[in-house]
Amino acid sequence: MFFLKLASAQDGNKKIISVNFQQAKIEQFVSELESKTGYHFYYNPTQFDSLKVTVQATEKPLETVLNMAFTNTDFHYTITQQQVFLTKGRRVIPELASGLFNTQPADAAKQTNIVADYTDEKEKKAVEATTENKLYEIGIKTNNIKSGTANLAGYVRNVKSGEGLIGASIYNPDTKIGIATDQFGYYSLTLPRGRQTLIIKGLGMRDTKRKIVLYSDGKLNIEMQEQVTSLKEVQISAEKVANVRSVEMGVNKLDIKSIKQIPTAFGEADVLRVVLTLPGVQSVGEATTGFNVRGGSADQNLILLNDATIYNPSHFFGFFSAFNPDIVKNIELYKSTIPEKYGGRLSSVLDVTDREGNKKIFTGSAGIGLLTSRLNVEGPIIKDKTSFIFGARTSYSDWLLQLLPEAYKHSSASFYDINFDISHQIDDKNNIYITTYISNDKFRLNSDTAYGYSNKNGNIKWKHNFSNKLYSVFTVGIDDYQYSIASTANPVDAYKVNFSVKQTNFKADFNYYLNTKNTLNFGLSSIYYTLNPGDDEPNGSKSLVAPDAVPVEQALESALYLGDKYDVTPDLSISAGIRYSLYNYLGPQTVDHYAPNLPKEPVNVVDSITYKKNQVINTYHGPEIRLSARYNLNEDLSIKAAYNTLRQYIHLLSNTTAISPTDTYKLSDPNIKPQFGQQVSLGIYKNAKANTIETSVEVYYKKIDDYLDYKSGATLLLNQHIEQAVINTQGKAYGVEFLIRKTAGKLNGWASYTYSRTFLKQDDPNAGELINSGNFYPANYDKPHDFNFTGNYRFSHRFSVSLDMTYSTGRPITLPIAKYEYDGSERVYYSDRNAYRIPDYFRTDFSMNIEGNHRVHQLTHNSWTIGVYNLTGRANAYSTFFTEQGGAINGYKLSIFARPIPFVNYNIRF
Amino acid sequence: MKIAVYICVLIFGDLMLLTACRKPYIPPAITVNSNYLVVEGLINTGQDSTIIKLSRTVMISSTIGIKAELNASVIVESDANASYPLTETGNGTYSAPALNLSASNKYRLKIVTSDNKTYRSDFVPVKNSPPIDSVYYLVKSNGVQINVDSHDQSNNTRYYRWDFNDTWIIHSAFESYAEVSHFPKDTILYRPDADQIYTCWINGTSNTINLGSTATLSQDVTTNNEISFISSTSEKLGSRYSILVKQYAITKDAFDYWQLLKNNTEQLGSIFDPLPSTTTGNIHCITNPSEPVIGYISAGSYSQKRIFIDNYNLPAWRPITPNAGCKMDSVYLSNAITKNNDVAAYIYSGSQIPILALYVIKDNHGVIVGYTGSIPSCVDCTLRGTNKQPTFWINR
Repeated sequence: MFFLKLASAQDGNKKIISVNFQQAKIEQFVSELESKTGYHFYYNPTQFDSLKVTVQATEKPLETVLNMAFTNTDFHYTITQQQVFLTKGRRVIPELASGLFNTQPADAAKQTNIVADYTDEKEKKAVEATTENKLYEIGIKTNNIKSGTANLAGYVRNVKSGEGLIGASIYNPDTKIGIATDQFGYYSLTLPRGRQTLIIKGLGMRDTKRKIVLYSDGKLNIEMQEQVTSLKEVQISAEKVANVRSVEMGVNKLDIKSIKQIPTAFGEADVLRVVLTLPGVQSVGEATTGFNVRGGSADQNLILLNDATIYNPSHFFGFFSAFNPDIVKNIELYKSTIPEKYGGRLSSVLDVTDREGNKKIFTGSAGIGLLTSRLNVEGPIIKDKTSFIFGARTSYSDWLLQLLPEAYKHSSASFYDINFDISHQIDDKNNIYITTYISNDKFRLNSDTAYGYSNKNGNIKWKHNFSNKLYSVFTVGIDDYQYSIASTANPVDAYKVNFSVKQTNFKADFNYYLNTKNTLNFGLSSIYYTLNPGDDEPNGSKSLVAPDAVPVEQALESALYLGDKYDVTPDLSISAGIRYSLYNYLGPQTVDHYAPNLPKEPVNVVDSITYKKNQVINTYHGPEIRLSARYNLNEDLSIKAAYNTLRQYIHLLSNTTAISPTDTYKLSDPNIKPQFGQQVSLGIYKNAKANTIETSVEVYYKKIDDYLDYKSGATLLLNQHIEQAVINTQGKAYGVEFLIRKTAGKLNGWASYTYSRTFLKQDDPNAGELINSGNFYPANYDKPHDFNFTGNYRFSHRFSVSLDMTYSTGRPITLPIAKYEYDGSERVYYSDRNAYRIPDYFRTDFSMNIEGNHRVHQLTHNSWTIGVYNLTGRANAYSTFFTEQGGAINGYKLSIFARPIPFVNYNIRF
Repeated sequence: MKIAVYICVLIFGDLMLLTACRKPYIPPAITVNSNYLVVEGLINTGQDSTIIKLSRTVMISSTIGIKAELNASVIVESDANASYPLTETGNGTYSAPALNLSASNKYRLKIVTSDNKTYRSDFVPVKNSPPIDSVYYLVKSNGVQINVDSHDQSNNTRYYRWDFNDTWIIHSAFESYAEVSHFPKDTILYRPDADQIYTCWINGTSNTINLGSTATLSQDVTTNNEISFISSTSEKLGSRYSILVKQYAITKDAFDYWQLLKNNTEQLGSIFDPLPSTTTGNIHCITNPSEPVIGYISAGSYSQKRIFIDNYNLPAWRPITPNAGCKMDSVYLSNAITKNNDVAAYIYSGSQIPILALYVIKDNHGVIVGYTGSIPSCVDCTLRGTNKQPTFWINR
């Protein structure tokens, strides 16, 4: 219901404004006018759906602007005091209809009828209007409002599910003071005391505002409405300004709705597949979800699922990512500005956040595909206080294998994963979040060798608010990744190889909203690693395999950090942080020491020392600097610069270029130094067309020290002396990334182009071997040109199509180019390392999303996804290999999706 | 690799399509015949002859094993400007008798190929190998490990390389006492000892690179260097086995080269295999400095030692021989059913070798009615080795 006070005062109409709209949609048009005039606009969005406003006006009254916008259209406006009614076909008459109030005095309730004819969503609108128009008094009420500032804090939540909204902005247009909510939906804002309006914008949410009178420190929880239909405008305003105005650079945020628009091989939304379409992110091959960010290797990405480290983010040879699309809320990829609270990896942080369960009602969804199905259920345990969310996926691909020729019939492959999260609000100041994740993959090739791997993660977070301005989050968790390879083909040499890495984490993070200009972050974290590099044991009683084990490694990685986001002026912001990390390699362990200035070869071992349990074997430590700054040149143009240093103490050992299930990890030890990376980057950000088009250009230069590459002929699995198989290299990477993104309208999506190079160098003659004569050589994942296009066109609310295009330069390989006989054997002459490239990669995918009807009140909502993966059927090389056949060595190229793959997926929401 | 093939099958489900997803991959770089010169050998400064082998690399898709480099001129040069030409002894081998070079000079190899390109190695110092202390074998559960121990009292050697030639006795499945003579007419005679084809000797060479270093030790002593492992099922251990181990003293530079070559080339193939890298030796093309040359030339003398291993000193292992499926047939001069002369059909024709004569007693005389026989691969060991005892061979 609208409660309107009508008055004849027209002075508001004379408000002078400047606007520039190009093909603006009604929402943008209205929100900009609202923020410029302070008026509230009322309209029915569906009626104005097709309207595109193009108006340019400088210092004109609102009335003139509206006239310019609506002349010669069927649209009308009416301005009353502080309110504007937009209508189609008819005009609202602000005067009272004669004879209407014969029996009653003119009261506000009656007036609503006039407007009520023009809106379909009476109920919703009314709630919103009520809260929006209500004046909230915050703090201890006094007659005279003191001068100075006071603090306002609280949560921004989804009105439907009660879930906290991440990255929603709360903004006072007059003072230009604003802030974004954190991972819990929490905000804390220091404002001048007195009466003011706050504008709240959230990703996927309808913009709202609150009128407040701020007397002293206090709380305000804000609930936001979802955008009505899922297909309409995926990227919403929070994002729009964030691009230009946030201090962070090299950050990509995506919510699950945009992830779901991207076609994938089997029709199921895939978080990592979408990450690969972002500028600066590349993959070495088709069936892999390992990714390379800005010339970093696949292990230099910290992949977090609700703050738990995921070591293997893929299922089923990489065809599916480990994240259940029904549970994921959004992802953030940090490529350049890595917040000081994260550490331990050089290249990037991929932060995947699950949704919180619905705190109000039970809901769920299910999806059925050719190879997998999934189910998700969520709901309140205690209404408005405690909720759970459960998600599970499983594959049933074995039926497909039964159709295969005899030789492959005895193969099998399957996976499942389960998410179960609980969030509980103890009281106003305390919240508990429990998140758990289990995944399991198994595959067996021709009943010969069985592979299996699993992630198990669990953590508990306790969020405590000390005051409006200070809160803390304490997290304890366990992350466990393990795999095994077992063979029973021949009972005599049946074996089982196991590998595992476990980490026990403790973290304390504090957020302190010091004042309007400064937000402080500080905290400490500690990770205790237990890493089993591999053990080989007999499998079965008949097996004669001699047990072999590489001793288990332990280490403790700790860090302290402090960061400040400082708004120097409204146009200049600086974020400065320091992280001090300390790494201890711990016993029990036996460590070989090598003669100085000689290669680490068995012959050069001078001593072997055994250390006791928990004895510190050696320590590495050092500061990491995180600096970034933003300067706004004008409203929609800014430049940003950043400098980062990072340290990494755990290394992936893989002699394949992709992450494969047989990779092992290695902790830094006296013989293997931690990796150290530095990055400088610079970017320009420009938004156009009322923030619906975002463009950015970022350049970066990176230097990496002590990145591990491998000696020729290195074996990595079950190697007791891994330091003898690796060499430290120096790396450099540079590149430029272009991104253009359209966030609204029938056509939305993005296109990105990246030019990037990554080189490594091993020029220390004492290390044993010079690679390519000590010159820089391209890293395995050096792919100079990379172009991505992801587009979605919405024909109607129920039907949309998506197109995805990817092109990249082929990755480098080392080719055997000749063979010869020497010392009694045939030997192969190889080219310089990575001197050649496999053919370029190109792929186009297409999909159609068909939604059932959009009636809000029905039992289930369903949708279909139909599409084709690799539309052009190009045979992209997955890998190349050389094999000897009858004395000749022949090269082969494997393509996995060498032809178009149709897919269909059915989803149901309840 | 297997995994990727498997995925292919998984996705496409039939073999027709499998072949479609595995396609020959022939990048331009491997279809160019690089034809690089390969130089192998030792400038022997001692009492033995210097033998240098020259060959060319071939395309990896080629089935030719070795392509000898003919008609080159090969000269050993000293840093005192002396030169010692080698003569071509055929098949890409160039040799000179004992050169007796001074150990205080450095030497290099100069090669001028028939296409008039000049190649030269770096000057290398003379490193003479100390004598081998011992070559011995250890009986393990699954075979025999052959080790070498050595030391250098003057602490000068530091880097060692070993290779070996080995020889072993094989037996055919059946010992033949008869042989076919075609002159003047087809007949079967008693087989003389000189023609025996039951016991043969097979020669082999090392095919792995064996290296040792004492660089980190206070004394130049190297022990327990495994240079060969013979599986318990190997035919080599079936009777009597001999190994001649040669020891070379090499420079650190040479050691690094051999180490890299070993790491690089003793494995090949799948995606799970290690990353290879190029190997550059100490020989350069003077005419075209950018042309790679493969090989490393050292100078010095080697030392050698031979041991024998007898089967009766080993556990009761059962060697796997190619004789496993051998069967003896009886071949009659007159087939009982067909009345054909099977001896003529099978033995004179060469498809079987006679083993023993078959007699029947007739009028108190033994009369030959036929022979036992078997196919040549079961009777004639010279198909795989030589029936002439090597000169170094000492029978137990």
